[in-house]
Amino acid sequence: MSNYWNQEIECMPYEDMKKLQSECLVAQVKHVYENVEYYRNLMDEKEVKPEDIQSIDDLHKLPFLTKADLRDAYPYGLLAKPLSDCVRIQSTSGTTGKRVVAFYTQNDIELWENCCARAIVAAGGTKDDVCQVAYGYGLFTGGPGLNGGSHKVGCLTLPMSSGNTERQIGFMRDLGSTIICCTPSYAAYIGETLHEMGLTPDDISLKAGIFGAEPWTEEMRKSIEESLGIKAYDIYGLTETSGPGVAFECSEQTGMHINEDHFIPEIIDPETGEVLPEGEVGELVFTSITKEAFPLLRYRTRDLCVLSRKKCSCGRTLIKMRKPMGRSDDMLIIRGVNVFPSQIETVLIEQGYSPNYLIEVDRVNNTDTLDISVEMNPDQFSDKMKVMQEQEKALALAIKTMLGINPKVHLVSPKSITRSEGKAVRVIDKRKLHD
Amino acid sequence: MANAKQISVFVDNKPNQLTGVMALLKESGINVRALSLADTSDFGILRMVVNDTDKAEKVLKNASYAVTVTEVVAITIPDSPGQLSRVLDILGAENVNLEYLYAFTGASDKSVSFVIRVDDIKHASDALTKGGIIQLTEQDLSE
Repeated sequence: MSNYWNQEIECMPYEDMKKLQSECLVAQVKHVYENVEYYRNLMDEKEVKPEDIQSIDDLHKLPFLTKADLRDAYPYGLLAKPLSDCVRIQSTSGTTGKRVVAFYTQNDIELWENCCARAIVAAGGTKDDVCQVAYGYGLFTGGPGLNGGSHKVGCLTLPMSSGNTERQIGFMRDLGSTIICCTPSYAAYIGETLHEMGLTPDDISLKAGIFGAEPWTEEMRKSIEESLGIKAYDIYGLTETSGPGVAFECSEQTGMHINEDHFIPEIIDPETGEVLPEGEVGELVFTSITKEAFPLLRYRTRDLCVLSRKKCSCGRTLIKMRKPMGRSDDMLIIRGVNVFPSQIETVLIEQGYSPNYLIEVDRVNNTDTLDISVEMNPDQFSDKMKVMQEQEKALALAIKTMLGINPKVHLVSPKSITRSEGKAVRVIDKRKLHD
Repeated sequence: MANAKQISVFVDNKPNQLTGVMALLKESGINVRALSLADTSDFGILRMVVNDTDKAEKVLKNASYAVTVTEVVAITIPDSPGQLSRVLDILGAENVNLEYLYAFTGASDKSVSFVIRVDDIKHASDALTKGGIIQLTEQDLSE
């Protein structure tokens, strides 16, 4: 039984991959320059012509695209194919401003679904599996992407979408689902609900989960793996590049292989835009070299991460990206310190709390305040006030040690923080800094 | 002799939290014999002695409340000057560390009862017995 969906590509020697990438890049730049006025103008401003791009070594000469460009060009400004050649639209939730719409030709859908198929196979999926897709369906890419990948692999696909958790578990038990795909926060919630229903992982047949679309931590991985009795695999993607499947995790679980035959990654210094060498932390940038309808070149993801070409035990040669350390959208600057919600989540799980929390940032008398509401752990509940206050203090101290700033921790009742069935809302920033 | 049991519940410090707990107990026909509420700005700890601790624990846990049951000393003393002082002297002489206490209505209007939370309950209970203080058992409180 093969562990790969496309062994030739996934295990291709780097020299060959580079050649393949260069060929695709040269053709793609030409395609974009000819068909996308918006990007042609950016190239002209920078005085770069398609002929200047002869191989991937010339990639750095191209101008960047940012989320702001996508907003300016909304909706058709970055389209590279006539609408009559497009068959699908997907869109972002628009939580960080104006929504982004992405267009797909039939070939774009094919390549996207093949990327998702690689992820499912890497997580151990075969045609004998029952794959429950509990990502949202609709404009959100999660459901449609994994649904398509699951079909390609030949899994029996359950297009559940998210929500109605008891019913999810009911189907899981009745139909013997072996793979679940959803956001990590929803996976944690399913695990919680399973236990509340008086069930254990022995009552379900799940063996693997493919979780993405929001940041999550190693600690959260362990807790999901235990509560559902599975191996939990990370998957990465953004609507701008197609959706989930840009990168996926293998059995080694030490980072995600990037499908670099379709998406060339770079790490840049977010301040200067300079390309950084492998192994350094910076902003992840992707160039789509095979997509037809919505081919973004040098798109800045705002995800901070590290790339590595270290040999992987799974046999894949595809470059690996470490789990993003945070998205600059998620990053809070509190009293001048960069704070990622994932750091707080790490501490909570280490200290035995559930990863359900709410961060509230405000500014009082020109000083930032950080308030974190955390669900108390019922197993640690004591009738003695002193004990409970010590728990609050110990947690505040652990968070302070991690972040370098003092939070105010508030213990709240178990299950009192709203659970999400899609992307979790964990931060409320009440500061009005731009008025 | 089974010591009295106290059930404690974690409640958020916001409106209607106590109402929620009391409504559940009411629905289950549970009678609250003694009650005290300790609070901070974030949360409160509601401590109660009820007539059916097991049932109360089950009902509250099912509703996702954080609950803990602890053994406590419950005493009944005459409602007259110096009586509580006598009890505290007995415990003090034995070096029993007292965490907290709260009063509740006695069996008659000539007596008053207290729930006393100590760390070493056996020690406290023996000392009070020797000192002639009437202790209430779980059975006494379930009536």
